Amino acid sequence: MKQTITQSLAWLHTWGGLIVGWLLFAIFLTGSLAVFDQEIDNWMHPELPAHHLTDEQAVERGLSYLREHEPNAKQWGVSLPYDRSPELRASTGGRRDGVSVTLDPNTGEVLPVRESAGGRFFFLFHFTLFMPGMLGIYVVGALAMGMLAALISGIVIHKKFFKEFFTFRPAKGQRSWLDAHNASAVLLLPFHLMITYSGLAIFLVIYMPAAMDALFDGSRDAFFKAQDPAPAVVEAKRPAQAEPAPLVAIGPLLAKARDVMGPLSGVSITNPGMSNAEIQIRPILGNRIALIKGGGMRFDGVTGEQLSGPTEMRASVLTHRVISGMHFAQFGGYPMRWVYFICGLISSAMIATGLVLFTVKRRRKYASEGRVAQVLYRVIEAVNVTVMAGLSLACIAYLWGNHLLPVGMAERPDAELTVFFGMWALTLVHALLRPRMHAWREQLGLAGVMCLSLPLVSLLTVDHSWALHSRMGVELTTMALGGVLLWACWKVSQPQVERVPRKKATVLAEVN
Amino acid sequence: MLANYIAAWAFAYIGMLALCQGLERHYKQVWNKPPSTGLRRALRGAGWLSLALSFYFCGMAWGWAMGPIGWFGLISLSGFALLMLLPYRARLAVWLPLGFVPLWAVIEMLSLYRWSV
Repeated sequence: MKQTITQSLAWLHTWGGLIVGWLLFAIFLTGSLAVFDQEIDNWMHPELPAHHLTDEQAVERGLSYLREHEPNAKQWGVSLPYDRSPELRASTGGRRDGVSVTLDPNTGEVLPVRESAGGRFFFLFHFTLFMPGMLGIYVVGALAMGMLAALISGIVIHKKFFKEFFTFRPAKGQRSWLDAHNASAVLLLPFHLMITYSGLAIFLVIYMPAAMDALFDGSRDAFFKAQDPAPAVVEAKRPAQAEPAPLVAIGPLLAKARDVMGPLSGVSITNPGMSNAEIQIRPILGNRIALIKGGGMRFDGVTGEQLSGPTEMRASVLTHRVISGMHFAQFGGYPMRWVYFICGLISSAMIATGLVLFTVKRRRKYASEGRVAQVLYRVIEAVNVTVMAGLSLACIAYLWGNHLLPVGMAERPDAELTVFFGMWALTLVHALLRPRMHAWREQLGLAGVMCLSLPLVSLLTVDHSWALHSRMGVELTTMALGGVLLWACWKVSQPQVERVPRKKATVLAEVN
Repeated sequence: MLANYIAAWAFAYIGMLALCQGLERHYKQVWNKPPSTGLRRALRGAGWLSLALSFYFCGMAWGWAMGPIGWFGLISLSGFALLMLLPYRARLAVWLPLGFVPLWAVIEMLSLYRWSV
């Protein structure tokens, strides 16, 4: 049998798309939610109060706590509240051995905050799928390659790319699904290509280690060291013998750092109270597109003299950081976040329509298929329900779990994850047992209702649930998404128009 | 500041709307008659001009490094909004830009007020 290139690519797009589409939908949906990870995190820590502190006051609160409780620590850290997060944290030592507490911004005392996997869960799931070790990162990379292949093959097999640029014909069964799939793919093509490519580029060293092996003998440390520009010059003249010395006033340093770098995220002090004390001040991500890890400016802790930073990046490093930054979407403030969030949701919907299309196409021929094919399509349909409706249900159940699980329980973050994955597993069982349209309807309906009633859960379980704007935003957005889910539920409950009516009159009547 | 975002979005929508109406199929969908050649050209010209204006306002709102990224996003999103409106409420899709003017004016007034206080 001879095939044209278009036919081969169509086959690749259909079956390849189905295989990668399921997990890609999960990646895109959780990735979209991760755009608002900090806001979701605020919602999941309802104990955090609003604050009205300046950076100077916040640092003072943090330092006075540390002076009182941790006077002998080698390192102090204060992470500052900022636009997106009201949390003031004081910490000592490294990430592993140190202590870290949340402070009440109003009193400076320790604030008991519930343990939670938090909004970070969506971010972690987005690129690891919670698989063991590095496996998830490789799987997600392979899926991203699959996404690129699906995008390119999709462009080639789409015959009326410009002619149907704005075309969507609803209520026409398979035709409508194809229109929705095509138009959402074409209109958001710049976003699809950008987000997929930049997602791959973030882990380029992991996916393509050959260059690092050849040039740096596979040593990641050597590789990262080579990325840094020349080390700070002032380093040499630091005194070897340290003796007690008072810490310099930190206010002017903060002002100076803010002038140079924009809004700040935190301060850390090495050897506080000694003559070799050093102060590092870090900017928040998102003052520029490039994703900057660590960095910031360093000052002498006694004289206040600037020691280094912010460092200029080499062109190659900057390129990589900017491409990664375009994926992380930390720049451009809330307007940009909304653009990324909605684009991400539409991308998820694009993948979803593709998956649905696969089964809609085969439903008509279902009866005439062989036994094996019938079972296969039945399973594919159930997985479709689980991946799309089920994941939505698992996500909202995760939020419910955060408020409903006892605040003081042990291993609380793990329990929240159990709620998420347990719910997701249940939806698979449900989808396999119920007739397909019932499964769609029940899962979409339940997810929609749970989204809509999220504020009610807050009202009944926590105090001052809308004390923060971001918490109110999370609940209102969730309600809007719940509305969309219920609309989808209502749509699938409608009697199906499988056979496309040939007359155009009904559609025209709708238009006018 | 916020007015720039609104303007960037509004011009992106107007641009996509004009380009869309420059296509015979969608012009007919709204007005039930084919457009003249001159009108089609004018609509396309206006569409591209409006997208250019949107680019300018994106640059004003986000700065020239981040602006282009936001511009692509806004064009895509307004195109998608148009896609969803056309089959259900075609006339609304066409007249919607008239609603942008008071919206923009209100926001501009509010931001002026905030500056003066």
